[in-house]
Amino acid sequence: MSNLHTRYEYGGDEFVFVQLSEEMSLEANFKGIAITRKLKEKNIEGILDICPSNASYMVRVDPDVFHPDDLIKELKAIEESVKDLDDITISSRLVDVPVWFEDPWTHEAVMRFRDRHQDPESTDLEYSARINGYASKEEFIDALTRAPYLVSMIGFVPGLPWCFQIVPREKQIEVPKYVRPRTFTPERTFGFGGAFSVIYPVQGAGGYQMYGIAPAPIYQKEQTLPDFRDSMVFPKQGDIFRYRSITKEEYEEIRSQVEAGEFVYRKKEFSFTPSDVLADPEKFSEMVMGRLYHD
Amino acid sequence: MIKVIKPGLQTTVQDNGRIGLYEIGMPPSGAMDKYAFTVANLLVGNHPNAAVLEITYLGPELLFERGMRISLTGGQIPPKINGVSVPMWETLEVKAGDVLSFDFVQMGARTYLAVEGGIDVPLVMNSRSTYTLIGIGGFEGRALAAGDEVPIGEMKVKDVKAGTRISPELIPVYSKSHEIRVVVGLCSYRLTEESLQTFLEIEWTVTPEANRIGYRHKGERLRFVEREQPFGAGSNPSNVTDLGYPIGSIQVPDGVEPIVLLHDAVTGGGYATIATVISSDLNRMAQIKTNEKVHFVAVTLEQALQARREVQEKLKRIADAV
Amino acid sequence: MSQKKAILSPLPGVFYRKPSPEEAEFFKEGDAVKAGDTVGLIEVMKNFYEVKAEEDGIIEKFVVDNEGIVDAGQELLVLK
Repeated sequence: MSNLHTRYEYGGDEFVFVQLSEEMSLEANFKGIAITRKLKEKNIEGILDICPSNASYMVRVDPDVFHPDDLIKELKAIEESVKDLDDITISSRLVDVPVWFEDPWTHEAVMRFRDRHQDPESTDLEYSARINGYASKEEFIDALTRAPYLVSMIGFVPGLPWCFQIVPREKQIEVPKYVRPRTFTPERTFGFGGAFSVIYPVQGAGGYQMYGIAPAPIYQKEQTLPDFRDSMVFPKQGDIFRYRSITKEEYEEIRSQVEAGEFVYRKKEFSFTPSDVLADPEKFSEMVMGRLYHD
Repeated sequence: MIKVIKPGLQTTVQDNGRIGLYEIGMPPSGAMDKYAFTVANLLVGNHPNAAVLEITYLGPELLFERGMRISLTGGQIPPKINGVSVPMWETLEVKAGDVLSFDFVQMGARTYLAVEGGIDVPLVMNSRSTYTLIGIGGFEGRALAAGDEVPIGEMKVKDVKAGTRISPELIPVYSKSHEIRVVVGLCSYRLTEESLQTFLEIEWTVTPEANRIGYRHKGERLRFVEREQPFGAGSNPSNVTDLGYPIGSIQVPDGVEPIVLLHDAVTGGGYATIATVISSDLNRMAQIKTNEKVHFVAVTLEQALQARREVQEKLKRIADAV
Repeated sequence: MSQKKAILSPLPGVFYRKPSPEEAEFFKEGDAVKAGDTVGLIEVMKNFYEVKAEEDGIIEKFVVDNEGIVDAGQELLVLK
């Protein structure tokens, strides 16, 4: 099943970077999750950071305690032990993430930076719908929200989730980043770039296409909301997020819950095996939607 | 307490950093020049992870509200107490009411001020380091401002006499052109053979965009190997499927202006990384100023580890001496 | 006889003679400045540092052009 070609590389004297695949795939991501979780369980002295990413991962060591070459030996052995991904169970959470598409804040930012976009005559949604072969932006929003996403990596800034939709390759949406990055993106913008959707945790520069805004935070410095009690950051790699299109009224209702410190994400604990997903992504997605909203 | 009369350009509270949080996208922050940071703490008898002030380019003006021992290490931003020059890399005694100020920066870029007991700010995820991008750690998550009152902690572990100094050969010499050692790798396969040579051969100039997040360099354009875009990688030849960025890793967006990512950098993204600055030279990188010249020199992992041991031996000699 | 006095850049960076690209220059050669007046900006690390005159005088000449690269301690302009 594996057409992946793994490369082990030094990142100076403290990091080992492992590229599982040049291209993004659910398979590469699951492999990374499996390896990094096994490595974590081993609790090896001298390992400072284990950072899984989309189709690669990175480990930081104290080389005085654990030599990078010994780490690579260890990682190769772990990779060999998870070769088939069959006996791997990923513990995860299913999460409902509301998004208000075409909201006034991201729309204003979309219009402000038209001169940095591939197509200054359309909005980001209209442009993305067209290049992905959808007849209207409504159909495109439907495709964005119909199937859930695997949180495939956290990073860039604290809490930003890269999300990869669980659909067959031919249905995967792909869009370019802005021609020149924007200097401003509203906090909680729902965006898309390459094969990934994201939510921007904080206001800042950015290059992804902007489609809408999430009413609930994914990063909260003050840690007042129940979902943030243990960490400023809500998403975890391996989570499954479903982006749900909401109205202005629901947006405002959730905002007032957030401001009152009462908002809690709708979520379910959930375990799955990579082969469940890879065998039939659409069937898996349907099952997940049922579990999240009906069970 | 230390009262801030003038804040300087960017004076922040830093310790060893917030380590182990890459997986949530949190960079380590922490002192940029760990050698100078460590020596500063040694000279006042502090715990090795006590927080200090990192002073960049333009020194602050600070009023000591009580007497204490202090030390100043790192780049030469010449310090003065009550207008009189005082030495760096030495344990100094200040009295209540003394004012510390600085002349224009000469060599290096960052000076470290350690005070007996360390700077006392709340621990955020096990560190006192400032991470200004999201406003956490340090003094209210930001650089110091005029009027701030900076509290002093109790992280002193040892009494060090005023006048204690370190032997001159252990004091780094800073210049205006720098050889920075790197381990080539990560996604260097994306660069053409010729461009990798160019990267290692030419002299790069540090641009004004050089801060705790990263240092951007001007020089020649680098080229990437032509390819069919891998799914998810993005359309520019310098793009890869988004991945993690080690501290010290070097990326070249669109082949223009290599960026060395430093302690407050983004933790990941979609640009090919081509090499990583070795840990001992991150300290030296921290002392490079805008407009200065950098030459990247390729070394092996074993050479990098050897350089790391040399730094550790120097620090051990200093620790034994004080 | 008036004494000449240089204003130095405290920082390495880019020197700007205008508050923003669209606005007029802070001062031109021959203008009188008072102590505390901003005579230019130095941009470094995405910060803009205001360079101020420390005493009253007449600007004899600018040594560095608008958007010129400067080092710390370099002369920016001369007062007489």
